[in-house]
Amino acid sequence: MRITLLFLLPLAVYAQSDAGIAQGRAAFRGNCAFCHGLNAQGGRGPNLVSAPLHHGDTDSDLKNSIKNGIPGTPMPAFSGFGDDELDHLVKFLRSLSGAAAPKTTLSGDAKAGRDVYEKNGCAGCHRIGLSGSVFGPDLTRIGAARPVEYLRESIVKPSADIAPEWEGVTVVDNAGKRTTGVRINEDTFTLQLRTMAQKFASFSKQELRTLSYEKKSLMPAYEKLAPADLDNLLAYLATLAGGAGNTVVKEVETRR
Amino acid sequence: MKRAALTLLCLAAASAQVPYERIVNAAREPQNWLTYWGDYSAIRHRTLDQINTSNIRDMRLEWVFQTGQTGAFETVPLVVDGVMYLTAPEGYAFAVDARGGRQLWSYKYPIPAGEKLCCGTINRGLAILGDRLYQVTPNAHLIALDSRTGALIWDSEIAPSSQYYGGTLAPLAVKDKIVVGVAGGEWGIRGLIDAFDAATGKRAWRFWAIPGPGEPGHETWSGDSWKNGGAPTWMTGTYDPDLNLIYWGVGNPGPDLSGDVRKGDNLYSCSLVALDADTGKLKWHFQFTPHDTHDWDANETPMLLNLKWKGRDRKVVAQANRNGFFYLLDRTNGEFLMAKAFARQSWAAGFDEKGRPKPLPNIEPTEQGVRLCPGVAGAANWMAPSYNPATGWFYFPVREQCDVYYAEPPVFVLGKPYWGSTGRAVSDEKEWGLLKALDPVTGETKWDFRYFRAPWGGTMSTSGGLIFSGDEDGYFMAFDARTGKNLWKMSTGMAIKTAPITYMVAGRQYVTMPSGGVLLTFALPERTEPEAKKPAKLADQAPPRKPSSRRIE
Ligand code: HEC
Ligand code: HEC
Repeated sequence: MRITLLFLLPLAVYAQSDAGIAQGRAAFRGNCAFCHGLNAQGGRGPNLVSAPLHHGDTDSDLKNSIKNGIPGTPMPAFSGFGDDELDHLVKFLRSLSGAAAPKTTLSGDAKAGRDVYEKNGCAGCHRIGLSGSVFGPDLTRIGAARPVEYLRESIVKPSADIAPEWEGVTVVDNAGKRTTGVRINEDTFTLQLRTMAQKFASFSKQELRTLSYEKKSLMPAYEKLAPADLDNLLAYLATLAGGAGNTVVKEVETRR
Repeated sequence: MKRAALTLLCLAAASAQVPYERIVNAAREPQNWLTYWGDYSAIRHRTLDQINTSNIRDMRLEWVFQTGQTGAFETVPLVVDGVMYLTAPEGYAFAVDARGGRQLWSYKYPIPAGEKLCCGTINRGLAILGDRLYQVTPNAHLIALDSRTGALIWDSEIAPSSQYYGGTLAPLAVKDKIVVGVAGGEWGIRGLIDAFDAATGKRAWRFWAIPGPGEPGHETWSGDSWKNGGAPTWMTGTYDPDLNLIYWGVGNPGPDLSGDVRKGDNLYSCSLVALDADTGKLKWHFQFTPHDTHDWDANETPMLLNLKWKGRDRKVVAQANRNGFFYLLDRTNGEFLMAKAFARQSWAAGFDEKGRPKPLPNIEPTEQGVRLCPGVAGAANWMAPSYNPATGWFYFPVREQCDVYYAEPPVFVLGKPYWGSTGRAVSDEKEWGLLKALDPVTGETKWDFRYFRAPWGGTMSTSGGLIFSGDEDGYFMAFDARTGKNLWKMSTGMAIKTAPITYMVAGRQYVTMPSGGVLLTFALPERTEPEAKKPAKLADQAPPRKPSSRRIE
């Protein structure tokens, strides 16, 4: 993940102080808000204050998640944080939720949601566990990794937030052939895409007539989904908290 | 034959290998690379043209030297009469045969266990003077090594690493002294430039980059802020032997992004200082970014050029500054001649006649964050520029990247970064890079070559009409100096973090680029050599020769 590379700069550090919450907020804004949202209600990372946590609810669980990251997921390890920074962050998170804040509950029926998933061709682009396509993001852990509101938006308005690693690119080569895919890599001279057919396509930029970045998501917007279907689908996605992507790869290898 | 060669070698060994005079005239021996910059002026241009615009397409990998070290490989090797000297992270120095990459010796500085290091163990290279090499260590020592064996001769502390002083730069050898600066600007150090006696390792002079009580400039720091004000000096300076002045860039003030605790201009942070080489006394200074709050160090290369400027021959110093402006100063007295933006910038409305910027409103970092260009890493940085006398242009890598700047009231604690910010928020905002050719007289762009990412690789120019550089995707590339056309490239597999060099041994030109943990050396295929153009039949009849026997001839 390219995002995590940006964390190499020195991180926030403060002296011991009682006003840990303010310092925690500052550290959160600079280092976490990009994924977890300004108020930790989630975004490209999960809701940390009013939804069930998957890696433990105690102060030391939280600190462990932060300091060591969550291997195999986009949650980076903030190994440079000292005890005081971790204290401040946890104080800040607690100040938002309070120990007994209500956890979001979902009205939909997860079992029915699974059918919605199957009927709407989601598996044609997504993967859960070992089945489905690798064209779009792996959804095996999507319930642990995103807040429900973000998932709702992802389905109804997928173009609202597209992470750079899922940016769509369309190229037309010198012979006029057009290819669209998810950008796997781009550099000064070359471009590699993953096509809908789940194949790699490699291009030398010299051989391209045009190269354009898609503003729209490569996922169709499911605006017409019946409200009940959408609720059920969300309930289903929220249950998905399976092994991280790399665990799945291991399973495949041991099967051979 | 063999005996004659041996006698010659003995004779050569009797006199010191690289006396000061050789360094002064380094440009006259383009086959060697005698200083970090190649010479004292830092133009990084070599009058070698065996590899040129018409045959560069045939250039290929000749040998690889594996350092076994990972981490950013920022060294610039020296080449002296067929021997290459380089450093690698973790305190390593190596001597290798510049023709074939065979190791001649290796040295590892024993970084004391548990030593506090502000800045990791990256290193940018060596200085040579006489028969000795000089190396700065991660814990801010200067050491002297025997260039023939790699044996340690002396070890002097520059400044205490217990106060988080560090060392990353290549030293500068001037006359009988070795001049060095320090890293650690984010850790509340007080910057300095030191000169050591090359023979004994004793300190000859010190220049404090933050003036102490009673010294001029001290009043530009409120309260006690000068004590931990940063102003590091982490890049090698340049030297004008005629004026006997050393030009050295000074880094940003600390805490980096929170200026309230250090009201004032904060001299000599973000400045270029001109020091008397014998005494270290300040001759003049020019501050690019007074009271900086965006981490815009002025450690970028101070390149020395002689130009016709507004009809007059001027001795100038040119710098593409981290703040996004290209500057020309008169290097005899520091007079401001010109500043011209070379990248997107959203902080300065212009300059007064003395070169002081007129800041735009709302550029100070805040708790909510302020988006500004250039970003914290700057539009330029320590990556070397170069100058080609044939085109008269200045070639350098540009970082087109903006940032959101956050501020937080800082508290100084020894051993913690004194940053004054929550760190840099990630964003999806696209960055890109440019290799730019610029007319230093007008500041106008002559051509740009666009990189996908903002680069950390420096440039080199040759009389073959070529500009060499590397990008963040790991491409090592050669360009036509006039048109900017990419003529050659190779994917090295690791982001390039330093500048290439070129040299010549036994009539063959080589180009070296460090990348990842390896040193890659390129040359034209041997068959294009005049020597190989002997009648083909003769060569066919000759018995098969071992490669080694050919070398002795
Ligand atoms: C690059 C995006 C990203 C950043 C930056 C990030 N996180 Fe996360 N974080 C995630 C993701 C994704 C997960 C969910 C991992 C999983 O279980 O699949 C997560 C999980 C967590 C968890 C565990 C949640 C649980 O369910 O138990 C905590 C706690 C957490 N993050 C805190 C933080 C803090 C504090 C910071 C800043 C210091 C931070 N994160 C920065 C993406 C991020
Ligand atoms: C044509 C291929 C395609 C189909 C069909 C498709 N998606 Fe997607 N989906 C994508 C792509 C590509 C992305 C990544 C770009 C983006 O965020 O919009 C994505 C993103 C998502 C995300 C956000 C993932 C994240 O990591 O934040 C969710 C959730 C999701 N899809 C769910 C669904 C569901 C549920 C369906 C079926 C109703 C579906 N998708 C159908 C291609 C598809």
